[in-house]
Amino acid sequence: MEFLLNKKLKANIVSISISVVLTFLITIILLLILGKNPVVVLGTMFGEVFGSGYGLGQTLFKATPLIICGCGLAICFHASIFNIGAEGQLNAGSFVISLVAFYFSGLPFILLFPLCLLSGFIVSGVFGLIPAIIKIKKGVSEVISTIMLNFIILALVNYLLIDFFAVKSTVRTEKISESFMIPKFSEYFQMFQGSSLNLTFVFALLLALFTYYLIYKTSFGYKLRAVGFNETASKYMGIKNNKIILLAFFIGSGITSFVGINFIMGYKGYYELGFSNNLGFTAIAVALLAKNNPIGVIFSALLFGILDYGGLAVNNIVPKEIMFVIQGIVILSILSVDKLVEKYYG
Amino acid sequence: MNAIEFKYITKRFGDLTANYNVSFAVRKNSVHCLIGENGAGKSTLMKILFGIYKPDSGIIKINNVEKSFDSPLDAIKSNIGMLHQHFMLIEDFTILENVILGSEVTIKYKIDFEWSEKTLNNFNDKYNLGLNLEQKISEISISEQQKVEILKLLYRNSEILIFDEPTAVLSPVEVKEFYKIIEKFKDEGKTIILITHKLHEVKEIADRVTVLRRGEVVYETEKENLDINILSRKIVGDVILKNDISKETVMINQEDSVIKLSNITLRKNGHDILNKLNLSLHNGEIYGVCGVEGNGQSELVDLIFGLEKKFSGYLEKNTNKISLVPDDRLKKGMIKEFTIGENLILKDKNKLNITKKYLTGLTDEVINNFDVRVPENSVIMKLLSGGNQQKVIFAREIELNNDVLIFSHPTRGVDINATAFIHSKIIEQRNAGKAVLLISSDLDELLSLSDKFGVIYKGTLVKEFSSELENIQNETMKNKLLEKIGKLMIGISVE
Ligand SMILES: Nc1ncnc2c1ncn2[C@@H]1O[C@H](COP(=O)(O)OP(=O)(O)OP(=O)(O)O)[C@@H](O)[C@H]1O
Ligand SMILES: [Mg+2]
Repeated sequence: MEFLLNKKLKANIVSISISVVLTFLITIILLLILGKNPVVVLGTMFGEVFGSGYGLGQTLFKATPLIICGCGLAICFHASIFNIGAEGQLNAGSFVISLVAFYFSGLPFILLFPLCLLSGFIVSGVFGLIPAIIKIKKGVSEVISTIMLNFIILALVNYLLIDFFAVKSTVRTEKISESFMIPKFSEYFQMFQGSSLNLTFVFALLLALFTYYLIYKTSFGYKLRAVGFNETASKYMGIKNNKIILLAFFIGSGITSFVGINFIMGYKGYYELGFSNNLGFTAIAVALLAKNNPIGVIFSALLFGILDYGGLAVNNIVPKEIMFVIQGIVILSILSVDKLVEKYYG
Repeated sequence: MNAIEFKYITKRFGDLTANYNVSFAVRKNSVHCLIGENGAGKSTLMKILFGIYKPDSGIIKINNVEKSFDSPLDAIKSNIGMLHQHFMLIEDFTILENVILGSEVTIKYKIDFEWSEKTLNNFNDKYNLGLNLEQKISEISISEQQKVEILKLLYRNSEILIFDEPTAVLSPVEVKEFYKIIEKFKDEGKTIILITHKLHEVKEIADRVTVLRRGEVVYETEKENLDINILSRKIVGDVILKNDISKETVMINQEDSVIKLSNITLRKNGHDILNKLNLSLHNGEIYGVCGVEGNGQSELVDLIFGLEKKFSGYLEKNTNKISLVPDDRLKKGMIKEFTIGENLILKDKNKLNITKKYLTGLTDEVINNFDVRVPENSVIMKLLSGGNQQKVIFAREIELNNDVLIFSHPTRGVDINATAFIHSKIIEQRNAGKAVLLISSDLDELLSLSDKFGVIYKGTLVKEFSSELENIQNETMKNKLLEKIGKLMIGISVE
């Protein structure tokens, strides 16, 4: 009966499987060219990742912010908004989260946590609104404005941090109260001993479910995707396109701030310059790979987490940069295999 | 000699059989009409001929040679050209760029625009197309876009020409022009396959007719034996729906218009698209607007619907609950990547927890009430046949239960039965006291439905008829009226 739907799911699974196999093949060839033994390299990598609770924990820890940021971007991408500005947006929000957590130290955690979420969300969201407004008012492509805004936001955060908030002769904020730190997995499960994996991971999974619900189960989600598919038709259906675009930018960008929770409240206890390490860009690939499906984002974030942590593990055998190459291969093969499979499945 | 022979063509999409054992032949240098209800499989069969789909079984012979096309490119190489039900043009390209795209003639890797332009202008003159090659697609009307598609066929030296519902989007004058072009093609020895729902056109132009029903050939006849009544019965399988609903008197207060436009002028790119236009819509009244496409109809609709705000004059709206069936269903009427259900809910107020079950329920309701033919409930709109897409959009707008309904070409591409059904629904709305604005290029439709009727020319309603519509059962009166309207539509004033 539902052959089309099943077909789509089947096509997706087929195309992702083929891409993964393809990626492995190309990686193996690449390693051979570099004169490395693929069995050793890949073996070490997967051994590190899956061989111990610590490795697994670290991988999930690396995947956590990618899930969060990927979800935010998925919302934008569904509206055909190509937001390249997550890197800036998430830094602004995270910075503010660290300040709120530090200065409102008198609050109980139960109040402080939502306050952190809200303030980070609003700050990142507002920075997302800027390109939205320029796009609506002046028709400037968000690709350009969000890229440029990255520099501006990062410089601004930089300035505020160094000149006003940083601990002397460091590039980080004050440490937040120990009582605000989010519990680590290792406190409950012995096997994750030493790993930074914390409950933010669970938060990220819930966020993905929420985002999924928002996109696929609410009127707003349908309107969002309608605008993404066909702005003219949406207009004729009485959808307020501009409102949807503003909201998508605001919510999508706002969500990216939550990556700060993982780093600040789950790991270091402070905001530090450069903590994001191009997370906002990697998350673009994460969302694209998942075809902007938040549940898919979880899996693609895991894949990137594996590559990221596994890359560290084989650092002394091959250059770490090879992991970026593999990331690139994954994306390229997904995109190209996808077209082929789509054609085959008609 | 036969230009094309279909032999035992079968094509299935999942459980749905779009074509079953279709066999017929198209004589060389003839006009062959392919007709049938919405979803009968006409477009599918033509797409198979053109190499877009592969048949599950069966063969096609072109000039007595068996051919199997893997893609339209192969078909084009065999001098087959197709004008699709929905155009395939790039909005931001000029006419010239669109036409040569994919078959550019180059000198040392550089496109030879000069040569192309000369060739195209030759065709332009020869067939009286009247196109300005420098214009962008986004700037020209639908009928001009169709001419661009025709130009494409000519440029690619097509000998076998497939036209999928070419006249659905044309006004009566344009239809005549179009058939003149077809005649010319025939004179030159080309072979034409034409799909249409308008049987009087078939009567006029066809050398042979094939009728499809539910994917199968059910009837075939030559020009000599062609009878419209038989054809229509063959199309629907002997169940002809009667337009059995009649207009009831609705008490209307002429003073209370629901929507009133006074002296509306709309300027765009230095032209007055609407020019001092006056119009009022009343409850329980169908106001018909006719005119050649591009005389301000779509802007008028946009303005009333609330999408066009930069006008001068006075617009009085006593309601914001307006339904709209737009003129261009693919561009304005639906999200083609969405399923039927998803398209139905887009106009809902904010709703949480939209489940699959809810969508399926809505879809089933519309499928049953509006006789939409679908391969399966959760099919995306893109894969519905043209007429069935139209039924879904129509259903959505009716079900909204709004105060004002705007129908722009509501029966475009819709078969006989469905047309009767849609007409009865429109009258039902009127009888229920709704205000209806009906824009159409089908004069019969306009005359039989409208209570009042205006001719639009260059953005002005140049004349309004109302009492005249009461005597249209009388043939001579009707013809007189039609003649008048025909003149008004092209700017000749009548007393
Ligand atoms: N790619 C596809 N996948 C699934 N179903 C399809 C596909 N293409 C067409 N169909 C279905 O096949 C049937 C025949 O469609 P087709 O477009 O050939 O009808 P048609 O005779 O051209 O109708 P119309 O007069 O409305 O244009 C329809 O029910 C349609 O939904
Ligand atoms: Mg069709």
